Amino acid sequence: MINPLKKIGAQFLDWADTVGGLVVMMGRVFANAAPWKLDGPQVWRSLYRIGVNSFPIVVVTALLTGAIMVIQAGMFIQKYGAYGLLGWGAGYSILREVGPILIGLMFSGRVGANTTAELGTMKITDQVDALRALAIDPVRYLVVPRVISMVFMLLVLVIIGDFAALFGGAITGQLLLGVDWKLFVWSIIEYIKLEDFTHGLWKALVFGYSIGIISCYFGMRTSGGAMGVGRAVNASVVGSAIAIFVFDYFITYAMH
Amino acid sequence: MAAKTTQNPSVEVDEESPGAVQNFLAGLGGPIVALYATLRDMVRILGLTFYYIINGKWGARRRRDILLQMYEVGNRSIVFIAVTLGFLGMILIFQAGFQANRITGDLSLLGALFLQLLLREFAPTITAMMLATRVGTGMAAQLGSMVVTEQVDALRMSGAQPVDYLVVPRFVAALIMMVVLTVFAIIVSFIAGAITANAFYGVNPRTFVDFRMLTWFDLWIGLAKAVAYGIAVPITACQAGLSVVGGSEGVGLATTNAVVNASLAVIVLDFLISGIGYAILSIL
Amino acid sequence: MIRVENISKSHLGRPVLRDISFVVEDGSNLGLIGPGGSGKTVLLKIICGLIRPDSGKIFINDVDVMSLKETELAELRKGLGMLFQNYALFDDMTVSENIAFPLRQAGTASEEEIQGLVKGLLQEIGLPTAAEKYPNELSGGMKKRVSFARAVIHQPPILFYDDPTAGLDPVTSSKIFRLLTQMKAEHGTTSITVSHDIDGIKEICENFVMLERGELIFYGSREEIEATDIKFVRQFWDASSDDELG
Repeated sequence: MINPLKKIGAQFLDWADTVGGLVVMMGRVFANAAPWKLDGPQVWRSLYRIGVNSFPIVVVTALLTGAIMVIQAGMFIQKYGAYGLLGWGAGYSILREVGPILIGLMFSGRVGANTTAELGTMKITDQVDALRALAIDPVRYLVVPRVISMVFMLLVLVIIGDFAALFGGAITGQLLLGVDWKLFVWSIIEYIKLEDFTHGLWKALVFGYSIGIISCYFGMRTSGGAMGVGRAVNASVVGSAIAIFVFDYFITYAMH
Repeated sequence: MAAKTTQNPSVEVDEESPGAVQNFLAGLGGPIVALYATLRDMVRILGLTFYYIINGKWGARRRRDILLQMYEVGNRSIVFIAVTLGFLGMILIFQAGFQANRITGDLSLLGALFLQLLLREFAPTITAMMLATRVGTGMAAQLGSMVVTEQVDALRMSGAQPVDYLVVPRFVAALIMMVVLTVFAIIVSFIAGAITANAFYGVNPRTFVDFRMLTWFDLWIGLAKAVAYGIAVPITACQAGLSVVGGSEGVGLATTNAVVNASLAVIVLDFLISGIGYAILSIL
Repeated sequence: MIRVENISKSHLGRPVLRDISFVVEDGSNLGLIGPGGSGKTVLLKIICGLIRPDSGKIFINDVDVMSLKETELAELRKGLGMLFQNYALFDDMTVSENIAFPLRQAGTASEEEIQGLVKGLLQEIGLPTAAEKYPNELSGGMKKRVSFARAVIHQPPILFYDDPTAGLDPVTSSKIFRLLTQMKAEHGTTSITVSHDIDGIKEICENFVMLERGELIFYGSREEIEATDIKFVRQFWDASSDDELG
């Protein structure tokens, strides 16, 4: 009887430890994010690598996501014959929810996991300690550039991704459902408001920040050799996924 | 394989440096060649997996491995799935309820339509994406470590086949648990949605829980997706793990590849199955 | 008999092995030496069929290794044993399960016979009480000995030892070499040993192949290597260097 309670207690402490560590990390990033403290070349390098790494996969994901949402909406719309609402139905869900969430998840997988693996490997090969020995703050040098780039990049990617998804949706609508793409576009313009679009962008910012902090946190905390890096990546993507869904809910709730 | 003999290393080879166009094509071609090689490897492992399910060694050891893997995949993901899909349910109902209120004011079909969408799309797909991250990294890291520490070589030297010994149990376990967890996800998400509908829009749970609109189509599509994802996720993850090169950095890279490949596979399969499902629906 | 014919292998454009050829007669023991990174482990793995070469052939008892499929290779490997550089013990199995693994895979011995053989081997390697321990509870030397037991339990006539004494203290190293000598004396096995421990390898091998950056720069008997004119080989053998580094 004691054992399950012990396990739950231990789990809780574990979570509390993680949450605490994340808050500390956020504080340190904030402290180091002042413009005069920024390591310019590192930020640029990070932006470039992340952008190049994730652009193709996000675009592909977005195209397919748009297509899928149109297919799903299509099944309902066909039933009620409301073809004029297809653009609105698909567009609304893509811009507000499905776009940011799926692009966020893909970004977490592609960039978040990569960042954790990178920092984790640096940690276990003592490169992080080497930086400290050279009086360079690892958070300022390694973490802050990555967090900033991830926030910025995810925002850009969601913007591009939204358009790609709507494009994919339009094509699918035309080819599969026989809904003229002009009707689709008109439906979007008529019914979708700017705030639907910006709603998704706010989410992108929050997701980018979360993925950045979480991936760097677990990367810097890696221990235990190659298996430790694997565990850190695991924790990073799981944590990011939870953060995405939880924050999505609260933002949705708050902005209504 | 091409024979390469460099018997006389002192012979000079004259090369022009590649121009901009060549560099661009190389930049484009490189990833495409790599993608093709990865896909081919996945198909190979998939084929071998099916072969060994039929022809491999079935015994106490195998059953034990499968159960162990099922625990790894299933039990340890339950909380994660519950949280993510619970929140997803709340989000979807919140948005849908808001729109329905604004446009038609009629929320009586909210539960029924939500259940359909959950079955057809969100439950299998999001569950699979969550498992792709959680389980994909685990399998890739495990197998990758075994490659790096030469345990996979040792398996082959001892007469065991890596795909038979390592991949099959994970594959069977993942397939079973994917279906089970999808069902679990539907339940959790639906309950979360019902609570949200009641709390924010005053929808009576009895009205919300409405199975009238559910058709065989929805069940089949959901099942087809769960099965397809249950095949794709372990295979992509194991392929990423088994193709590790280069020590600890390689393991880290393998886990990243596992997540990305598995997630992408899920989305591609989602598109294909949704499309085929739609086509079938139109014909009926 | 092992015949290595014109083996070449490149990795990422860089040549790792260039046109290697030699023969290991039945019952003889070959020492594979050379500076780090000269391709010795890769060569060993090519001979076992774990890696495919870019060109060349390997014949083990007149069977062309490259022509075999994985299942046929599994059959061939019943006659081979390999001691890995980093032990490669299975983390999720106990010591006795590790040692018994090749026999269980072959499926030719009964459970009783397997238990008996495992017990006997544990005695021989000096670890009679380690049967139920897991690899992460053992020291490096102990893991090496367990790895040795796993390599020999199915009594293969051909053995490959990849750096058997890497990272071990002198006392443990000599224990390992004693095991290898015993293997040779009692069972007349054929073997290829990769090692940096020249003194140890002198004891058990009659013939030597030396690789340098993927090229075979010496192939001959112990007498020949002790009398060789090739300076690099001479230095390596005598473990001395009067020249500057590099």
